[in-house]
Amino acid sequence: MCGIAGRILHGSGPVGRDLVELMDAQVHRGADSTGFALYGPPRERGYVVRAVGMDRAALGPALDEFRRILRGHGSDFLEDPTWDEADSAHVSVRMVADEVRGADLGRWSRDADAIADRLEVQSVGRSLEVIKDVGGAAEVADKHGVRGFVGTHGLGHARLATESSVRPTASHPFWARPFPDVAIVHNGQITDYYLWRNRLERRGYRFMTENDSELIAVWIADRMRRGVGKPEALGQSIREIDGVFTYLIADERSIGFAKDRWAIKPLVAMGKAPEIAVATEEQAVRRLYREEGDVTNYDGPAITRTWPAAEAGAPPALAA
Amino acid sequence: MRTEELEIRAGDRPIREVNAEIRAAFAEGRDVVVRDTRSRHNLGVGLPAAARIRFEGSVGYYCGGLNDGARIEIERNAGWGLGEAMAKGEIVVGGYAGMAAGASMRGGVLHVRGDAGPRCGVAMKGGDVIVEGRIGYLSGFMAHAGRLIALGGADEACGDSLWGGEVWLAGPAKSLGVDARIEAPDAEEAAAVEALLAGRGLGDSSRDWRKVVSEQRLWHFESRDAKAWLMI
Repeated sequence: MCGIAGRILHGSGPVGRDLVELMDAQVHRGADSTGFALYGPPRERGYVVRAVGMDRAALGPALDEFRRILRGHGSDFLEDPTWDEADSAHVSVRMVADEVRGADLGRWSRDADAIADRLEVQSVGRSLEVIKDVGGAAEVADKHGVRGFVGTHGLGHARLATESSVRPTASHPFWARPFPDVAIVHNGQITDYYLWRNRLERRGYRFMTENDSELIAVWIADRMRRGVGKPEALGQSIREIDGVFTYLIADERSIGFAKDRWAIKPLVAMGKAPEIAVATEEQAVRRLYREEGDVTNYDGPAITRTWPAAEAGAPPALAA
Repeated sequence: MRTEELEIRAGDRPIREVNAEIRAAFAEGRDVVVRDTRSRHNLGVGLPAAARIRFEGSVGYYCGGLNDGARIEIERNAGWGLGEAMAKGEIVVGGYAGMAAGASMRGGVLHVRGDAGPRCGVAMKGGDVIVEGRIGYLSGFMAHAGRLIALGGADEACGDSLWGGEVWLAGPAKSLGVDARIEAPDAEEAAAVEALLAGRGLGDSSRDWRKVVSEQRLWHFESRDAKAWLMI
């Protein structure tokens, strides 16, 4: 089933708290895993890198290796990495890396992905941080301090695993590697997944999971590499990808969505521009807008739309 | 004599508890108004005959499902599956009804004052759905019996794979679904529909009705003809 959500604030504010509310309201749609793509104040230099290590005991050597690869690309850590202190075997790591040589994130991420069995990159961005883990919204939020995250906008996802195994790294959101700050969340199934996966692998793309939703992220990255703008790519995906889907895509400046031709997976929106909350279910956005108000139901087939996010320097959001 | 209606608030409370209070009120013969509805799901499911309930605000999925004769009023919008599998009774929505309103309903009247979403009246087996606005994509899909009446017309693929139901349109359909055709209704049938509408304050004898019915070719589906039915 799965549930998705997006939130844009009018300026920088408690976007983590709002997204946890939106996902907690949809926890019945899937609690195998929960994930967030959060957009904080953009860095002028370097990138925030989010990664998951599958063996907490071996994190030290994995980080050393990761750093060696960074240095090989003329970069280094700008801050000491931090990670969660939970008991789980896997560990979520936050790193800040300097610019890479020639701004070639594609070359660097190919090398970094060579050690994905030890430390798998989940996102790279000036402002994007992907935080995802197994469990329901409250559990993941508590473990990773998501509620305290301050930023301008973000995405959320609740997963009911149907097509592949439950692992922290096989959860949403998926980063459109190697494009910084681009992430997707998806509700639905991609029925021509293997066809597209084979095609994209022949073009040199690497898939990190068996999750059909990852295809959307890789597919978008392929279009971006070929110079297709995101709004146009959303429209193309409706015509070219087969399956039932409503997916959200975010970057540092916007949130957009595409919905398939069969009109199976819902999306509702509420809020007054530039502030907006979108979610699979109306009762989720009503967690943030408790009073009755205008709701837009994107119930029809073959729809796309993009909402601009606020500038990080805009006045702060009013506390609810 | 009916007593004053009992107020029940939904808010963040467990819906099971809210529905138990609604049923208890009906057992005492009281009418109910539900406030602070917050688009919550499964409100007022399986209500008995002679019950009367109003929802002030919007409701979520499956409101009024399995209705067994209650009169249900929703002030604003309803989510998916409104009145699903209703046997009898009446549901009135002030605003928009989401996907699959009246799905599999077998009797009663479902009246939507605004528009209805995709697959309105999907697999209906009886009763009447009246939509004052438009009905969405694939409305009437696989309906077996009953009337789906839309005063504002229909979006794409109207009446797709209809078996025996009827879709009555007082406005244009963007397109018809597979195995659907339009026929001119006879005067007697049109008068029956107009009488139903007049009884709800929607009388207008000047309407130009299009009745969408099954072309009946899918009644005898042959797998060797499958290609003829592919939509993509």
